[in-house]
Amino acid sequence: MAHKEITVTVNGVTSTRTVEPRTLLSDFLRHDLRLTGTHVGCEHGVCGSCTVLLDGAAVRACLVLAAQVDGHTVETVESLADEGRLCGAQRAVMEEHGLQCGFCTPGILMSMAAAERDEQTADEVVSTVLQGHVCRCTGYLGLRAAIERHFREREAAR
Amino acid sequence: MKPAVFEYQEPRSLGEAVAVLATPGRECVVLAGGQSLVPLLNLRRVRPRIVVDVNQVPELTGVHITDDVVRIGAMTRLRDIERHAGLRSALPVLPETAALVAYPQIRTRTTIGGSLCHADPAAELPTLAVALGARLLLRSARGDRIEDAESFFAPPGTSRRPDELLTEIELPRRQGFRFRFEEATRSGGFPLVGVCLGVRVDERGLVAEALVAAGGVAEHPVRLPAGERLLHGRDLAGNVDDVVSAVSAVLTPPTNTHATAGYRHALLRTLLRRAAAALATGGGN
Amino acid sequence: MSERLIGASVPRLHDERLLRGDGHYVDDIDAIGALHVAFVRSPVAHGHVTRFDATAALRAGAALVLGPDDIARLTGPLPTIWRIPGQHLGEVELAAHTVRYVGQPIGLVVARDRASAEDAVELVEIEIDPLPQVIGIDAALADGAPLVYPEIGTNVAGEIHFGAPVEDVDKAVTDAPHVVERVFDVQRICHSPMEPHGLLAEWVPSVGSMTVWISTQVPHVVRTGVAAGLRLRADQVRVVAPDVGGAFGGKAVLSVDETLVCLAAKVVGGRVKWIEDRRENLTASYQGRGQRAHARLALDADGRFLALHTWIKGDLGAYPSQAGSGPFQVAGLTVEGPYRFELAAATVTAVYTNTVPTGAYRGYGMQESSWIRERLIDDAARELGLDPVELRLRNMISPRELPHTTHTFLTYDSGDYPEALRRAAELAGQRRKPSTGRIRRGVAVTSAVEVTGFAPSALLEMFAIDMAGWESARVRVNEDGTVTVFAGVISIGQGVETALAQIVAEQMGVPLDWVSVQLGDTATSPYSNLTSQASRSVTLAGGALMHAGERMRARMHALAAAHLGVAVEDVKLDGAVFRSSERETTWREVAHRGWMGWGRPDPDRIQLEEVVDFDPPAITFAHAAHGAAVAVDLDTGTVTVEDYWSVNDSGVLVNPRIADGQIVGGIAQGLGIALHEQVLFDDATGAPLTTTFADYHLPRSKDVPDVVVEHRVTPSAHNPGGFKGLGEGGTMLPPATVANAVANAVPEIAGSLTVTPLTPQRVWELLSDAGLAG
Repeated sequence: MAHKEITVTVNGVTSTRTVEPRTLLSDFLRHDLRLTGTHVGCEHGVCGSCTVLLDGAAVRACLVLAAQVDGHTVETVESLADEGRLCGAQRAVMEEHGLQCGFCTPGILMSMAAAERDEQTADEVVSTVLQGHVCRCTGYLGLRAAIERHFREREAAR
Repeated sequence: MKPAVFEYQEPRSLGEAVAVLATPGRECVVLAGGQSLVPLLNLRRVRPRIVVDVNQVPELTGVHITDDVVRIGAMTRLRDIERHAGLRSALPVLPETAALVAYPQIRTRTTIGGSLCHADPAAELPTLAVALGARLLLRSARGDRIEDAESFFAPPGTSRRPDELLTEIELPRRQGFRFRFEEATRSGGFPLVGVCLGVRVDERGLVAEALVAAGGVAEHPVRLPAGERLLHGRDLAGNVDDVVSAVSAVLTPPTNTHATAGYRHALLRTLLRRAAAALATGGGN
Repeated sequence: MSERLIGASVPRLHDERLLRGDGHYVDDIDAIGALHVAFVRSPVAHGHVTRFDATAALRAGAALVLGPDDIARLTGPLPTIWRIPGQHLGEVELAAHTVRYVGQPIGLVVARDRASAEDAVELVEIEIDPLPQVIGIDAALADGAPLVYPEIGTNVAGEIHFGAPVEDVDKAVTDAPHVVERVFDVQRICHSPMEPHGLLAEWVPSVGSMTVWISTQVPHVVRTGVAAGLRLRADQVRVVAPDVGGAFGGKAVLSVDETLVCLAAKVVGGRVKWIEDRRENLTASYQGRGQRAHARLALDADGRFLALHTWIKGDLGAYPSQAGSGPFQVAGLTVEGPYRFELAAATVTAVYTNTVPTGAYRGYGMQESSWIRERLIDDAARELGLDPVELRLRNMISPRELPHTTHTFLTYDSGDYPEALRRAAELAGQRRKPSTGRIRRGVAVTSAVEVTGFAPSALLEMFAIDMAGWESARVRVNEDGTVTVFAGVISIGQGVETALAQIVAEQMGVPLDWVSVQLGDTATSPYSNLTSQASRSVTLAGGALMHAGERMRARMHALAAAHLGVAVEDVKLDGAVFRSSERETTWREVAHRGWMGWGRPDPDRIQLEEVVDFDPPAITFAHAAHGAAVAVDLDTGTVTVEDYWSVNDSGVLVNPRIADGQIVGGIAQGLGIALHEQVLFDDATGAPLTTTFADYHLPRSKDVPDVVVEHRVTPSAHNPGGFKGLGEGGTMLPPATVANAVANAVPEIAGSLTVTPLTPQRVWELLSDAGLAG
């Protein structure tokens, strides 16, 4: 069966690879590009662990074919820290104890990153950003506190 | 949970897409937003020979608003519908209902056409399409065809033929109407039963015309003309129990893992009551 | 160092790495060249495998296919840990010539990647002679039920009785002025860690060594199992647990599937990997709970508890998993909770069914017993017209009565149960909201004690449980003065490495950032059997490290004193410098001298290492009172938890923020049991119906209110740090608390609230039966 050559810019680095049509973006990122921060939790779009940015919008990497990102831009959790320093969302999640096992965390951080680029109010972000994520460890309190604090601070700074 | 092998086709124009679908003997599925299809591929519950990805077909995306209708390209994504300023004023029930679908991270990919063609009997947009009396434009190498939403949803799926591509959805603007979409979800946010109620009210505050549709109460979303007739001339602030009963009486909802027929009936009655109450107190759009 | 670290909410040591996406879960390990496994699983619930033909799969390029005959030839069974009297199966067989549940591994395929392996699985031709199946406890116990093991003539695997003789309890119940009698169910649930199971196994034929990187709670137990299953020596097997993405009891034993992956590695002579997918996790991994209890509570006219009897029937599934009936037995053992009963007893019957086996799940029997007891008490209060808090307090063990030994021979050590309950009731009372229209509101409070630190080892021997209650830890001062801690407990996301570092840093008087913690590698970690389960990591390993840290501090001071030529009392550690009145030397220099073997005060001791084994004298019991405020929608049956409170006593807390996170996370899981999660099977075929997260519903953010956690601190006397455990406590009470709050909101259905989860559909049916629904 025909493989497809794709060229994709991930975290600012453009790579060309050959993929099987059935290769999921999540597996492509993890196994072809060795960007293992994107986690695979359900492979049917419900848990949110594999959330990445595709052309700046949060998507499930398990529900996009690698073949579909040819010519597009993808950002993963590995892109968030700025010159080694944790970004604001990462700091907020750490300071509010918004993670335990850390498996769902990268996906949530990417949804926060997507929300940062939106014009939504902090209220809207706080009520929506966790809708698409399952965290089995924390009970969400620390995550909500982190999201609330991070987006309130951003709003205040605007 | 990895898909079985398939061939991948990526038409770059509508003509090309229709041509791919027209090739005889091919078992194609159309990949729109992929938010329902890709899980099914991953689970190997759908095993096409060819996946026809129509994400690169520019003609399939866009919103056109006229005085009477809005026309939406089938590949228009829900996130863009939710945020579309023109739609928010021309047909606000559409962006509001779109925002009820799944999660934000899913709506970035989900398309209106994909949602209609996937035709989950409880899903929000098929119910809305039926309530509004949407018309669906289907194109194939054999030509174009227009199908009403009500007849489009034909269990176990839709009336779309394998060589046809849903290209555009035409939604009457129903000026003068106010709509309310009420839904009950199961845990996790998956729709269980949804009710769309639209009313045009006369100068005395009585219902001059009503539109009622429901999802999750039959094998496909249904228009409920009995309810529409009974609502005529009524004050929505009054008791609508008879309407609710009449609507419920004509349906035999399915019983499955998610809900029994009895519970679906109860939800339908509750949601219809709530929609009427919301519209009576000035809610809805 | 004067700063207290025990009790400080310091940030967790591993967070930054996890936040960057630099976590190292098993699927993240660079596995270049590894082959991948997919399993051939049974499509039927019961039957004899009559044909397993791999010809087509091999022709299509599979590297290896193993069927039941191969597996039987190449493996031995896995040892079980906890059995019930009468249990005829003492081991877990790897080969399945007879399948007993849908999803049971019959064989496996090895191929170049997972997708290809799944392709090849479809080409393996199997034929199964179907046998009648039995699904569910009642069906299994019915007359003429199909038998999971016809050779034993019954579906009862075994039975055990705890507490007073059943005749005595029966008499007390018969004579009592008031009896509440109910049948209570706890549904089967799936642990659903966000990281499913997975492993990478590497066999090096030339040296005969097996290394297994695996997402597990129990590296040493995995080593024992792999050695037994593959007929290897323990010293040939090294097991490494990398970052573990949640476990909750689901990674507390080695599964058949995991063992077979190791077998595949051994047969191919290289690296083989299997990452469980979510469908497998939801359908073929050991599950939790699954019990039905017939319970009776007898009271006198004043509401004094005269007798409590529960007959617990537990669903083992197709065979007893290693822990098997353990959770059901613990449910029987802990049913008394924090109350006095004149008589109490529990009978536990373990039952085979044609479903995936069950085993450990966070809360291990204690959620089930709390559900029974706290629901009974609540209904008793309603029937007697007593305030439920008052009824509880009237029967609650006071601090003066501790230690208290239950009828099932558990000895509670310390705590103030009434004070916690009063506080929870006070919190719940303050936030009570009125009912409005078709929304009814109610509140409730409950109480439980928690077995933490399942020890001493002799106790487990007495119960014939193949577990070690002790724990060991090693503190090493390295040659540059940094400190490495080795412990047998492991990190499953709970943050134990941080807590252990805090304990050692405080005991040694050094800054936290000098201390690193190494866990989860059988090549370097002390032996640990129970490891991070049973709410014991900090209690046990922390207890060991209290001693080890203190001893190492003393040795470093003695070395410094010898170097400075002064008495040890004259040496003070000030930051990184040891000072005496006249001279000083650095901590680093002392460490260096120590490893050089220079100037040692004790000529026989050179290495700067202290190893301490800690086997506590008894179980230490944490306790908690919970409160919930709920809203019940009479039209839809939806139960919304609007407020939730926990007053918890886990003794001395090492890191209160981590402790809060454990409690809140546990409560969220408990709310999942209360309202959302349930594994369902098709009774006619035994096929699992909850195969994806679209059907098996985990709690989401909107389902968990802003839980309030308060702590009480009664230090444990069984432990040098005063620690009690808390990993499971949060999960124990939410189902009972939520159901009691629903009963408070809608007393008309109180007596029928006997089954979890209280899904909208289930509650609506109860409301409908009571004539309340819309």
